[in-house]
Amino acid sequence: MFTRLYEQIAADPINLAAAIITLIVLVAGAAYIVTYPRLFMLGLKNLRRHFLRTALTSAAIGVLAFMITTIWTIIFFIDLITVERSKDLKIIVTYRWSVPSQMPITHADYLNPASSQFLPELVDAQGNKLYGPNDFMTWSFYGGTTDPAKITPDTLILFFVMEPEQIIPMMDDLGDLDPKLVEALKDKPQGCLLGTDKLKALDKKVGERFKLTSINYKGIDLEFEIVGVLPDGRYNASAIMRMDYFNKSFEQYARANNGRAHPLANKRLNLIWLRVGDRDKFDQIGSIVMKSPRFSNFPVKVETASSLVGSFLDAYRDIFLAMKFVIVPGMLVIMALVMANAISITVRERRGEMAVMKVLGYRPNQVFLLIVGEAVFVGAVAGLLAAGATFAFFNLRWGGIPFRIGFFPVFRIPEAALMWGLAIGTLTALAGCLIPAWTARSVKVSEVFSKVA
Amino acid sequence: MAEPIMHIRNVVKSFTRGGEEITVLRNLNLEVAEGEFLGIMGPSGSGKTTLLNLIAGLDKPNRGEVWIGGRCVSTMTESQLAAWRTRNIGFIFQFYHLLPVLTAYENVELPLLLLPISSQKRRDQVLNALDLVGLSDRMYHRPGQLSGGQQQRVGIARAIVTDPTLIVADEPTGDLDARSAVEILNLMGELQKGLNKTILLVTHDPRAAERTQRIVHLEKGQLLESEEMQAAGLMAPSDSFQAKAQG
Amino acid sequence: MRTLRNPFLNWLVEHPTAAGFAVVGAGIVLLALLPILLYVLPIRKVPLRYNLRNLQNRWKTTLVTALAFTFVTGLLTGMLSFVRGMDRLTESSGHPGNVIVLSDGATDEAFSNLPPMAVEQLPRDLQREVQKTEDGQWLFSKEVYVIVMYMIPNPSAGGRERRFVQMRGLDNIPVAAAVHDVKLAVGDWPREPFVRKVDGFGNAKEIVIGHGVARAFGSDVGKKMLEPGDTVVLGPETWVVSGVMEEGGNSFGSEIWTRDLFVQQGFGRENSYCSYVVRTASADKAKLAAQEIKNFKLERNLQAFTERAYYAKMSETSKQFSFAIYIVAVIMAIGGVLGVMNTMYAAISQRGKDIGVLRLMGYRRWQILLSFQLESLLIALLGGVLVCVVAFLLFNGTTVSSIISSGVGGGGKSVVLRLIFDTFVFGFGLTFSLLMGALGGFFPSLSAMRLRPLESLR
Repeated sequence: MFTRLYEQIAADPINLAAAIITLIVLVAGAAYIVTYPRLFMLGLKNLRRHFLRTALTSAAIGVLAFMITTIWTIIFFIDLITVERSKDLKIIVTYRWSVPSQMPITHADYLNPASSQFLPELVDAQGNKLYGPNDFMTWSFYGGTTDPAKITPDTLILFFVMEPEQIIPMMDDLGDLDPKLVEALKDKPQGCLLGTDKLKALDKKVGERFKLTSINYKGIDLEFEIVGVLPDGRYNASAIMRMDYFNKSFEQYARANNGRAHPLANKRLNLIWLRVGDRDKFDQIGSIVMKSPRFSNFPVKVETASSLVGSFLDAYRDIFLAMKFVIVPGMLVIMALVMANAISITVRERRGEMAVMKVLGYRPNQVFLLIVGEAVFVGAVAGLLAAGATFAFFNLRWGGIPFRIGFFPVFRIPEAALMWGLAIGTLTALAGCLIPAWTARSVKVSEVFSKVA
Repeated sequence: MAEPIMHIRNVVKSFTRGGEEITVLRNLNLEVAEGEFLGIMGPSGSGKTTLLNLIAGLDKPNRGEVWIGGRCVSTMTESQLAAWRTRNIGFIFQFYHLLPVLTAYENVELPLLLLPISSQKRRDQVLNALDLVGLSDRMYHRPGQLSGGQQQRVGIARAIVTDPTLIVADEPTGDLDARSAVEILNLMGELQKGLNKTILLVTHDPRAAERTQRIVHLEKGQLLESEEMQAAGLMAPSDSFQAKAQG
Repeated sequence: MRTLRNPFLNWLVEHPTAAGFAVVGAGIVLLALLPILLYVLPIRKVPLRYNLRNLQNRWKTTLVTALAFTFVTGLLTGMLSFVRGMDRLTESSGHPGNVIVLSDGATDEAFSNLPPMAVEQLPRDLQREVQKTEDGQWLFSKEVYVIVMYMIPNPSAGGRERRFVQMRGLDNIPVAAAVHDVKLAVGDWPREPFVRKVDGFGNAKEIVIGHGVARAFGSDVGKKMLEPGDTVVLGPETWVVSGVMEEGGNSFGSEIWTRDLFVQQGFGRENSYCSYVVRTASADKAKLAAQEIKNFKLERNLQAFTERAYYAKMSETSKQFSFAIYIVAVIMAIGGVLGVMNTMYAAISQRGKDIGVLRLMGYRRWQILLSFQLESLLIALLGGVLVCVVAFLLFNGTTVSSIISSGVGGGGKSVVLRLIFDTFVFGFGLTFSLLMGALGGFFPSLSAMRLRPLESLR
């Protein structure tokens, strides 16, 4: 958990800011309690005295923090995925000019370090290949439906077609997949791994078989045996099948059609993944691949995974921008307004009391701190609890927020969300309470008399 | 004595507080005649407020009956009571209890809004009531812009504007300086004499009580009648009041 | 389960959750509408100016609370206007008389693969349904649709370097324009030989670009819009703009049109099309024709939809967003409701004496409830009206780009749509605001109603 937290803080300046704010709140809060223990206790008593208002305000702050945490999780992951990583950089080779990328299957051989056709340009002077066999993965997409009469997301399955041994080294977030699953896949030529949602939609168990009618390769309808389930999370709506089964099905198609190959037989490779390590290596390998004459009949382009994903998500860009710069700030303003409202009501009701406090010798700054302390306490606690609740609610129930954008089935709430909750609770409380607290600070001692009279 | 306008018969009222039963009113009897100015005196905790609650129909006695203007208050339903209060009881409070956001005129108008009368008639009645208390020139002021005595005059105008059967005044001078208190008491005396209003004055101020025709003492949940009647009509109506009532 | 005779009651029994929501919803509506209705009726009530003056007296709290409403409702109406814009786009894309033909199994144009075909290959009775242009050409458009790479010229450092754009190759561009009802805002349709000499470059292939594309590409080179004569690099080639389409609120606004051959050759789609679009005389005729075409076999099976039905399927994305928006709205609303509860509880505790006096005068409990409920609604109304004014002034007609898709098979079109603030959106926003006010005011008003008169005067 703490390593993840650390990674999240390092990965995103907003998380860093939230971490700093959290730290400040904790330190300042501790300092406040140590310096003014009585004032702190007085604040707590006040909050308890106006229990209804405290409860309403924290609930309001809480639900809004819940919503912000949810939305920000989506933004955070989209940002994370479209921002290039500095280490463990993966690149994608695709057809250069249009989408969907469809390439001849032979393209894979030129880039596969294990193949005899491996591009000689990718071997350095010492005879070392620029990347190893574990840094290479091919993807084809095979989509089919269990019910051709009723094509819905529930009857549809989209397979990643790949070599089983590439899963653990190359697939994102599957690095700690149980190797037994890979072995099981290798054992069964028609085997496949399914995500939990797909398994549920099919209403099948591991060991059972099912048939698909293809959507994108007309006439290539395949039968599968479920050999395992992908771990809960990002691959819930995904499926993985073997490349050799896919390839053989094209040979079969040709045999059944008097030797006429499937129209898409020579375009059945969609993506090639390479792990290149760092940016320099990417530039080097990228330019070699782009320039290689091997690809001149079917030109390819080389780009980082994040940049490709970014291009795909371009259509959603305005929606993300609106979420980031309109909806979330709007909600923060609502939080601050709710807080401002509650605190100004409190201050107005307690004017007489504040005057009495001043008569008794409290300094204006202490009155100010009392109000700020009450507000921040409510904001920070409510924000933290709400974020914690969001974290537990979504992650335990669905493995993340089940909002499908493009190819992301769920968005797992990151650990850093706890700090977001605390930070936004504190900041909005501060924003909302400063003016009313200043009013309280400047209550005239003379008001004590006019009230009593 | 004429037919009593208010008749409290054998009223018992008790509360349970913390499991303990406290009897506030024990077998209380009181008759008030129409046009009478009655003072009720008693130390705090003697049950004055409970008595007022019963008269206003805000609470029901455990036993006994409260009759006002020929109706038994203690058996009416709440909505009957609300409508009945508008027509039959006018309240005057120690702290005036005017609605701070409304002008004097609007405060006096408030109870009339509940009655099915034309707006013209309503206006006439409000102006008349304000005239009677001598505040015609201040009717567009808000309570905050009026002195304590003036505010209490608005309170009185509000209490009489529906021409109620009974006016209940709860320590009406308690928050006023001596001079204003005298003015208010004079005004109430004039209302009683000039308009034949029945007024119940609850107070612990002997000087205020002196202005009534009869004083009863509430002591330990029972009324002790002061046999001697206050000398009726000793007070001379103030000149200013007369002038306004006629003008 | 017992079957009730009334179908509505029956439905409620079968859907207890929905019934629960319906009851709660109806209750909230009642809380909002009843006070307003009662206020308009000539019954006796605490005068409205009492509430108005109080709101005015503590104007700071009123304003802060109303502002919270404004923001909640503002976000809601903003999101709703987006969904409305999307709905309008999917509704207005597609001519009612058009039939779109795809290859069997394809859910999206991009995955469809059709051989060349002429109208004359269709059965006679089907041919008769195909409309003609004034000069006697079939209104039958063969189209090849690809998503191509557009390299942004001189991208800012670290910024986006490329975009996907949608390119449509047409066998006869003027006919396609007639079939799709697309007109040019400026420039001309490409004409034989579909290439033009560009200064300092040589021959470039002609394209017509949608309004949204003209704007987006224009912003890449620091212009408001691309104009005829401007060049664009798409895929391996440089193209020259010959015309810009009129802004039509349909999905073609984010497309680039050119001759079919250029697309087929340039992007590996030799001798194949993605869709045929056929214009028939009416929506009914279109429906029949779609049915007929499904039964007709070319080299392979065909799929045919009326264009309206095809685009209606594309509203899946908007459905998902609407759903998300309603959830976000409800949660924001809870925040707003809690905020107004604070305000109203404070208002009531401050005005306990007022309530006591009113009760003593003979005002009934329900009249007190009504008065405070109305006050809460007034705050909501203020917030709601503020939203409508601001939203309309600032955002009406703002364009945003988004994606529409059928949610099946990963396809989708990126589109440019306008935010629409119409009476529906405002009506919804205002109603929503009032409902929040009603809910937030209700419990405090109940507590006001329950105050005991003489005790509240202490």
